[in-house]
Formats: sequence, structure tokens, C-alpha cells
Amino acid sequence: MAPPAALPPRIRAIAFITPSNAPILVRSYAHQNELQCHYIAHMSLDVIEERAPKATDCYLGHLYSMEDVAVYGYITATRVKIVIALALADAVVKDGDIIAIFKALHTAYYQSLANPFLQLSQPVGAEGQDYSLAVLAGGGKWKGLRMRVDAIRKAVGAADDD
Amino acid sequence: MNISTASLASPAVLSLTEPEPKEIDALAFDYFLIELVNTLKDSSAVASKRNKQREDDMIAAGILAAPAPLPSLSVKKDSIRDSVASAKSAKALEEEEEAVKTRLESIGYQVGGHLAERLCRDRPRFSDTLDTVKFICKDFWVVVWNKQVDNLRTNHRGVYVLQDNLFKPLSRISSYNGSADALKRAKLYLAMPCGLLRGALARLGLQGTVSSDTTSLPQCSFQVKLPKGS
Repeated sequence: MAPPAALPPRIRAIAFITPSNAPILVRSYAHQNELQCHYIAHMSLDVIEERAPKATDCYLGHLYSMEDVAVYGYITATRVKIVIALALADAVVKDGDIIAIFKALHTAYYQSLANPFLQLSQPVGAEGQDYSLAVLAGGGKWKGLRMRVDAIRKAVGAADDD
Repeated sequence: MNISTASLASPAVLSLTEPEPKEIDALAFDYFLIELVNTLKDSSAVASKRNKQREDDMIAAGILAAPAPLPSLSVKKDSIRDSVASAKSAKALEEEEEAVKTRLESIGYQVGGHLAERLCRDRPRFSDTLDTVKFICKDFWVVVWNKQVDNLRTNHRGVYVLQDNLFKPLSRISSYNGSADALKRAKLYLAMPCGLLRGALARLGLQGTVSSDTTSLPQCSFQVKLPKGS
């Protein structure tokens, strides 16, 4: 039997951020408090801002490591920023895998966003020039996206079963 | 399986990354637009009638001052076939049309934005504004209208003119009363495409205005005006 030493790292936190740097969804899976996840997201924004103008690729790579997490960033063509924090582990993390996870997250995002009933609580025309407001309105009770993100996290975790 | 390079991306993740594409009949969108325009036309006619009624009630109750009497407008009966519309003054008609256009545009704005988000998934980021507009002309146009833009012109100062020589929503519009009337009716069917473009551009970070112009069916051109410096 293969040694069970190198399990794939777990996802500790996932954050979606609008083009104007407002949080859409910050999801934490570790025992640490929510605040630290916001902290991680804030820090990654600085790094993303630094790298994004130069990069032509959506995937921004490993942003930084802090304490026990490694943080990866992704910016879509529509400038939505996605950040994931992985627990530091011995296993090799392949960029291709991370990109696949990011793509899945982006898919989850637009699928949830396209829900025609999402913005019914929002007065018509209130979104104005920036759609981030409409997105934010769903932030707290945005169940669809939260469920999809959780499903992805679960799927990633499922890798250590095989 | 080699555990030491345990893969993060299990088949489950990959299936979420590449969701099965859903397909619908291309004609569905055509039918949808036809019905949508007519339904909204009726709906906003009812809405404006209700508003008028409310206003009249308030005037009758003395809450609201009566508006200055309008100079009587000659009602053009000949060119309008709809029985609902024929009895109304030209001004009311114009207002009503404007209301329908606003509704259609805001629907288009939403749909366009979501569509742009979806189409951007597998492409790298945009390098500049022209790149973004080209994306609209090629990828976006193909998905929505099954062809590419025929001609794209720009003055390099934020104005882009997208010309389509056979614009799909206009390809089957005709009228009993000649081409001039058909052209007039066609304007309503261009409101949603305008909204689609505006929404897609806005989602890609370019807040601008989109106006449509058609001089002979089924040709159509869209003028996109973007703020300076974008």
C-alpha cells in the first residue's frame, strides 16, 4: 500500500472579490475565525494589485504564504478576483490543479449570478453603473453561490479518497 | 496511483470545471425576442394607463395641479395599425415606446452581462479596449446572433461603430405599409440588442453608451461611445 503521508492540502478559505475590491463571498473552512479570512483576502488584494497589470494570464500563481496557509490568486477577464488559501502541506501542488479549481469557482460564480431571481430584492435600476452593488446585495444570503463553492471544496477534498 | 503527487483536481473537480454545455435551439432566441417585445409593449401600455389614471384621480381630488393644456396634436391614424395605439396622441405613443425600450434595454443589460461573464471563462484577460471590443464583435456576436460583425470602425478616441449587414433580429421584419413603416417598427427590436452590448461591455469594465441605427433593413449599425481614457 502507498504511504498515506502526502495527502493533498485542504482548502482553508475561499474569497470572491468584485472589480472594485468589495467582498462578494468570504468562506472559511478552518477552525480559525472568519476575521482571519478577511485578513487573508485583504493581504492578497495588495499582491494582486501589484501583479495584475503585468500579467496577461488569469492565473496569478502563488501570492504569498502566511503562518500555515499558502494563498493563490486568480483574476477573471471580467476582473472578479478569486483567492483561495490552502493549508501548507508537503505534497507538491501543481499549477494545473489550482487553475482547474479556480475555473470551477468561476463557473460557480457565473452560474449563481445568472439566477434570474437573485436580484429581486433589489429595486430596479439601483445597480447604477456598478453591478457590484447588486452582487453585494446578495452577499449575506447568497445561498446559491455558497452551496456551489462548498460543493467544489468537497470535491477537492474527495481527492484523498482514491 | 502515485500518492506523492496526490492530485488536487479529482475527476469531481474537473467535472465542475467543465460543466456539460447546455444547448438550445438557435431559433428559440428569435421567437423569444418577438414575444418579449410584444408582451412588454402590452405590459407597459397597461402600466402607463394606470399611471395616467392615478394622476387623473389625484387631479380630481385636488392633490395635484392640473397640467397646462397641451396644444392639440393631430392624431396620425394612417400609419398605425394597432387598435390600442390609434386613439392616442403622438406624444403618449412616444412616451410609451420609450418605456418599452427602457424595459427591453435593462433586460438586455442583465443578460449581456451574464453572457459576457460566461464567455470569458476560458480566455485570457483583455489587453486593451480594442481587444475587448473585438471580443464583442467576434465571440459575443457569434454566440448571440450566429455570425460575426461585418465591419468595425473606430476613431481611436472611444467611439466604435459596429456594422452588421444582416442583423438577425431584423432579418424577418416587414410591414404592410412599406419599408418606412417597417423601419420604424424595427427600432423597437433593437432596444434589447443595445442593452445586451451595453451590459456585456459594462461587465468587461467599459461603461459606455450604445445606440443603434438602421437605414435599410436588415442592415444595422451600433455606435458604442466609451468615456475617454478607457
